[in-house]
Amino acid sequence: MAYSVTFLPDNKEYRINSDKETILDGAARTGIVLQGMCGGAGTCGRCRVILKGGSVRLDNGEIVFAGSTAAQNVLACSAYPIEDVVIEVPETSRLKEHQIKVSDDSSWADDTSLTLDSLAPLFHWIPLKVPEATLDDFEGDWERCRRQLVKERGRAVRIELEALRKLPVVLRQGDWQISCGVFGNENVPVVIDFAPGVNPPLSCGLAVDVGTTSIVAQLVDLKTGCVLGTAGTFNRQAAYGYDVISRIVYAAEVPGGTRRLHEAAVDTINNLITGLINRAGVAYEDIKVTVCAGNPAMTHLLAGVDPSHIRIEPYITAANSWPALDAKDLGLRMYPAGKVVLLPGVAGYVGGDIVAGAVVAGLNRSEQVKLLIDIGTNGEMIMGNNEWMVACACSAGPAFEGGGIGCGMRAMSGAIEKVEIHDGGEHVRYQTIDCKPPVGVCGSGLINGLAALHRAGLIDRSGRLVRHAAPSRMRRSTAGLEFVLAFAGETGHGKDIVISQSDIDNLIRAKAAIFAGIQTMLNLTGLNLEDIDRVMVAGGFGRYLGLEDAVAIGMLPPLPRERYEFIGNTALKGARHALLSRVIRKEMDTLARQVTYLDLSSGNEFMEAFTAGLFIPHTDLSLFSSIGK
Amino acid sequence: MSVQLVRERWNGSAQEMTLGRHPHAVKVGGESTLPFLHFEGSMPNRPVLALEVTDTSPQDWPGVLSEPYREVMGDPVHWAMACEKEGADLVALKLDSCHPEKENADPEQAARTAAAVAEAINVPLIVLGCGDESKDAEVLPIAAKALQGHNCLLGTVTADNYKPVVAACIEYHHNVVATSPLDINLAKQLNILISDMDLPLHRIAMDPSIGPLGYGIEYAYSIIERMRIGALTGDIMLSPPVICMVGEEAWKTKEAQSSDVPEWGDWKRRAVLWEAVTASVLLQAGGHIMVLRHPESLALVKAQIDDLMRK
Repeated sequence: MAYSVTFLPDNKEYRINSDKETILDGAARTGIVLQGMCGGAGTCGRCRVILKGGSVRLDNGEIVFAGSTAAQNVLACSAYPIEDVVIEVPETSRLKEHQIKVSDDSSWADDTSLTLDSLAPLFHWIPLKVPEATLDDFEGDWERCRRQLVKERGRAVRIELEALRKLPVVLRQGDWQISCGVFGNENVPVVIDFAPGVNPPLSCGLAVDVGTTSIVAQLVDLKTGCVLGTAGTFNRQAAYGYDVISRIVYAAEVPGGTRRLHEAAVDTINNLITGLINRAGVAYEDIKVTVCAGNPAMTHLLAGVDPSHIRIEPYITAANSWPALDAKDLGLRMYPAGKVVLLPGVAGYVGGDIVAGAVVAGLNRSEQVKLLIDIGTNGEMIMGNNEWMVACACSAGPAFEGGGIGCGMRAMSGAIEKVEIHDGGEHVRYQTIDCKPPVGVCGSGLINGLAALHRAGLIDRSGRLVRHAAPSRMRRSTAGLEFVLAFAGETGHGKDIVISQSDIDNLIRAKAAIFAGIQTMLNLTGLNLEDIDRVMVAGGFGRYLGLEDAVAIGMLPPLPRERYEFIGNTALKGARHALLSRVIRKEMDTLARQVTYLDLSSGNEFMEAFTAGLFIPHTDLSLFSSIGK
Repeated sequence: MSVQLVRERWNGSAQEMTLGRHPHAVKVGGESTLPFLHFEGSMPNRPVLALEVTDTSPQDWPGVLSEPYREVMGDPVHWAMACEKEGADLVALKLDSCHPEKENADPEQAARTAAAVAEAINVPLIVLGCGDESKDAEVLPIAAKALQGHNCLLGTVTADNYKPVVAACIEYHHNVVATSPLDINLAKQLNILISDMDLPLHRIAMDPSIGPLGYGIEYAYSIIERMRIGALTGDIMLSPPVICMVGEEAWKTKEAQSSDVPEWGDWKRRAVLWEAVTASVLLQAGGHIMVLRHPESLALVKAQIDDLMRK
């Protein structure tokens, strides 16, 4: 049975062909991305839509007709059309496009660690003068090229079918002078393209940070290393779950789930590509190679490989080191015989994004002990120097990205990013992104807010809200005490923005996990906090983070300010470096193999450190004595 | 040939807590060594034993336990006097009547009972709430007021209800029992929270939530041992003395409750030993105050402490 689903106000239509497809799936297929923290489990209530026409069957078998009261409140993830339907998607249920702040240091020349001399991109053109075929010299076109290539370069090469299809025409077009497009990632380079003449055309590469929340892509001129454009957007997989685990569950438990998530990621990247090439004035076919850095789950899903075993003990990936994939197999909008490189990971919860970050942060080339922390849902961290490295993932949870927090939101327009509390909690001043009226609080605002609440004496060290403090803002709700950050009259959505006790508990758990991860790695290596020479904080989040507050709440160790460095999106930078330098690419492979992975779920050391961290700043006050009582 | 003993040197000590009033005050803690290792450091005060009294007749006490108190049960004042006579160093009065699911007694009434008990005995008084966090937060401050001048030990408080009780302990000069669920970090956190309210650490007793012999005593042992080593190594937030609710836990066991298993030996002897052995194990771990129920286990443990304190 096929039904049509019309989405308003977009006026987009989708035909649902199976009785297993929900309104949510339909919306995703038409490019309307709904919120879905729970991964379509029907529990978070964020994908609410209004049924304007027709009727749907809910998960529980109930039928809802347009015009009824229930039609005002249909969860898209649990509603199946039983005839043609019209659906209105309210603004509040949509995942909003958010601005990815693109760093300014994206030009290749700015990198001190790499110079143009070491430019050795994954794809390059080799100009070639091929001896013309004659009746006496009747070797095939490819053998002829290969002989010349081996003669000039001294290396064996392979060829892809797509290139072979082009060769006879190109060879004669160029009058036996051609450019061979070589993908040089593997031991045996492979020819994937030909162009007539020895002045090769433009070749581009794409570096992609495949994040759970957002995907950022950067178009790079492979010959010069120049960045031609950067674009980012939310990961469309978000409609199927907010965090890695709910996506893995979706992939494992919903028939066709892996494929849908794969398509959602590819769609997201393709959309970014379209924007990038239009702005740069290049063609899809000019993109010869793409390097993706993502966590293991994202990497699996991008490749369309079932990630379900990552979630189940003993947490095994399908692969840590991925073969180069064909663009056409993935469906990426680029040169079809182009290659897609997925950066290698370490284990189930430490992936290519962190490996890329570690190389960018120079851990493998440093004599000093460096600690790289990616403050995000998975809380990956890697510590070490040129002799040893340890990595772990402390699963801090989505709190810092706004998940699991009543008023939480991602760092986008209208998010409170800074909070000041005065007069014992009677007055609150805040700063929002883009100076818009507040609609929620993002990670940096939450960390800053938690520190401010503690400073103002509104929460005790265990994070409990103090009952009789600040009577005008502290109040009791059905779920316990809550503190009002912004009253309905000031906000962008006309509702109070509050921090509840359970929000605070979630934040404290998240910060405790990060510090406990650091402590567990230190214990394993027999080092003390002071032995860390540099702490490099990565992630889109790191850019806005208030260091003093992060230390005050005990999330980051109280080390001298100058040891900290915010290095922004290292995954993207690492992907770009891998595109442009085979040396860097090799370093990532080596690093991924050499890192010692610390599984925090085995043994009770992490759990103990975690419990000790469920306190402001920490149960072991002496660790944080430098910041006073 | 003489053998040189290897001596452990510590740089910290446990807090010394004073309960009750002159001339019957009792001091606990203050040691600078692991339990009973007199050759390594000083142990100025012996561990002390309390006997438990409830303000209503307990329903779940087996026959062999209620037998010695047959004539005084239901009369907390006389019961407490009987305990003192049996040789208890302290009396622990449990205000069971306040429990919302039992008699839900009025806090004022319970406080009057507590004051009457305190007046009737010479030894210091421990007052324990009914175990319901929000009711205890109501009852204990009122009891604290009624007991002003007696320098009692009041509890137990958790991270969720410590504030009003600690405030009352400061105002009426009492000491507080801080309880945590077998977790060294949570115990320490609660001590920090309480001392943040300016109640000094020597007026806090830590209740680590023990398990009796055969029912997880090894967890309690290890937590208490870590508390003690923490104190000795200078972790001041782990230095308060440790109180163990031995009787309550030991008398819950099926070994103490079962009258009809002759192959386990004589019921009363078995039950008393269960309580006494639990207490003596936890004394070795580093416990300071043992709250017991049966007068015979009190006598057994007391004799053992006498032995262990002999230098």
